[in-house]
This record gives sequence, structure tokens and C-alpha cells, in this order.
Amino acid sequence: MTWTCDLVEARLSDYLEGLLQGPERAAFEAHANSCADCAPLVASVRSMVGGMHAMEELETPPRLVYAILDKTLGPRETVTGWQGFLNAIRGLTTPKFAYGAASVLATLIILVSASGFSLRKPKLADLQPAAIYHKADQQAHLVFARSVKYVSDLRVVYEIQSRLRQDENNLQTTPEEMLPKSSPEKIPGQTDDHKPSQPRQQNRANEISRQLEMLAAEFPVLRERSVR
Amino acid sequence: MRRHTRRIFNICYRFTGNRTEAEDLSQDVFLRVYRTLGSYRSAHGGFATWATSVTRNLLIDHYRRTKRDRITDSLDDKMPVVENKESAGRRPDEQALLGELSMQVQSALTRLSPELREAVILRDLQQLEYAEIQTVLAVPAGTVKSRINRGRIELARILQQMGVRPA
Repeated sequence: MTWTCDLVEARLSDYLEGLLQGPERAAFEAHANSCADCAPLVASVRSMVGGMHAMEELETPPRLVYAILDKTLGPRETVTGWQGFLNAIRGLTTPKFAYGAASVLATLIILVSASGFSLRKPKLADLQPAAIYHKADQQAHLVFARSVKYVSDLRVVYEIQSRLRQDENNLQTTPEEMLPKSSPEKIPGQTDDHKPSQPRQQNRANEISRQLEMLAAEFPVLRERSVR
Repeated sequence: MRRHTRRIFNICYRFTGNRTEAEDLSQDVFLRVYRTLGSYRSAHGGFATWATSVTRNLLIDHYRRTKRDRITDSLDDKMPVVENKESAGRRPDEQALLGELSMQVQSALTRLSPELREAVILRDLQQLEYAEIQTVLAVPAGTVKSRINRGRIELARILQQMGVRPA
């Protein structure tokens, strides 16, 4: 097929966008390169299309977005004077604002008290950074020491409680029949049962025996009467 | 919202060549989109394609409405120097914003017929696909290809007349 200038012109965009393949493309280029009219046209269109693709979009004017919003959603109400002031006050009385304000106030009080600033006797010197740091450090150490003491006290209390509980358990588990039975032949402080006596009972019996011996040594009369 | 605003503003500006007109038309486009949002169906393509279609229709309406004014203007100034005409009434920041090529192309675009102009703007400046342009213009695929091709050749010839040489 012989390519004419009209055909080259008609297929120019196809050529530039890579839609012409193989023999068609070769025939197009053969004519475009040899034709004095088509060669500059192809070059200028190619250059122009490349330049247009590289062109950046213009920035939107800032006022345009607001103008569009005003036009579509309606103009924003601008209330001035006393009405505007009252509207602002009304906004402050909402529960959400009150809750937020209370939270901020509580946080401020905690921070101020943690920094050691006295609200009852405020002093300008207390607001110096060095003083705030010193007092905050002091408060932190005090809190730490109190915490350590509290934990230590708790440990002692639990230890005493556990000991008392253990003693109560020991007393409850001692049955009546295991107590020492009185017998004329028995040695004081010892039971005539086969089972050995409890250590505490044995100690008490030994103590009584020792005291009796001491009394006998002090008062021989008693000794004679007991022998008789 | 801002992305669509920028795109629609650019289409309007490239079509009219006038910043103030482009701003007014962009507002009108969004107003029409807002009012006819209920008629939007996904069958029209994406929202961007539909909004572009609305923009195009509004631009054509605007072109027809202002045709008489333009004829009067051209009678007053039969041999306009394109660069001077474009420079007139444009702010310095606009001058700086537009590069030399951008200004020359913008000047040439305003001298194209509206059918060819819109096809070239959508293809080479907005870089839409042929199928999207077909949806926006509501014409057959062959017509879209033909308009883009003729528009490019016509634009290149106008630029040659203006003394712009290919790089």
C-alpha cells in the first residue's frame, strides 16, 4: 500500500501512540521521512504532545474550595456581637466541655502538687525550674520510701498472722485422749502413755521439776516432810 | 474534594483560557454535581468520569452562551497578537505559574473548535483513556480518535503559525 500525505495525517496519532506495528509502521516512517510536508508535521505534533504530557496542573485557588462549599452547602452563618458571645458561652456549658475542663484541672492539680508548689502559700521562688526539680525529686523519693515501708509492714503483718494461724491449727489438732493421764506412779512432767508427750508439755514439766528442786534446796523442812 | 476541584478547575481553565471564568464554571459544575448526584449511576463509569462529563456539558453550554460576545470581540480586534492578548488581564503570579510552552499551548487551544479542543484537553492534558473520553463525550470510539488526531494536527499548525518551533 502506498502511503499518501492524507493517510499519514489520518494515522499520525496511531503512530505516535505505538498502535502501528510492523510493515505499517515502516511504511509510515518511510513516507514521513521522505515527504517535505509530513516530516515537519510529525516532528511538531510529537514535540507538542510530549510537551503537553509534561505540563503540570495549575494549583486550585484557595478561595475556590470555600466558594464551592458555600454554593453547594449554603453560606456559613457568621454571628457577631452579643449573639456571637452568647453562642460561645452556650458552647462552654455542654457536658463534654465540662468533663474535659475537669480532667484538665485535675491533671494540673496533680502536676502542681507533685512539683511541690504550695497552693495555700504560693511563693514566686517555688516556680523556679531548679526549685521545681528539687521538690519533685524529693517527692518522688518520699513516695518511693513510703511505698517500700508499706510493703515491708505488710510482710511483717502477714508473717505474724501466719504464725498465729499455725499455732491455732496445732492446738486444734491435739485430741483430748492425747493429753497426759494422771497416774500415781507417773513421774511429774511425763505421761504414762506409750506415746511421747508433746515437746511443749515436756518443757513445762521439766521447768516445774526444776523449780521444785530449787524450793527443796531452799527449805530443808519441806524435804524432810516429803521423805517422811 | 480538593482532588476533584483541581481537576475540574484545570479542565475549565484549559477550555476557557480565563482564570475567573474557570473559577465561576468550577463552582457551577459542583453545584450541578451536588444537585444531580441522585442521577449518578456506576454505569456512567467512575465518579471522576461522570463529573468530567458534567463539566464538559457545562463548558459547551457556556461556549454557546458566550459565542456572540466572542464574535463581537473578534470584530473589534481582527488581527490579535495571541501572546499579547493572553498576557493582557493576567496577574504576574499567573505569568510566572504558566511556563512558556504552557502559555503558547493555552493560546493555541483557545483558537481550536470546541469539539477538537475538549478532545485534546481530555487526552493530552488530563491524560484520560480513549474509553473514558468516549464516555465523557458520548460519541463513538472512531469519532474520539478522529477528533483527537485532528485536534493535535490543528494545534500543531496553530503553534507553527505563532512561530513556535518543535524542540
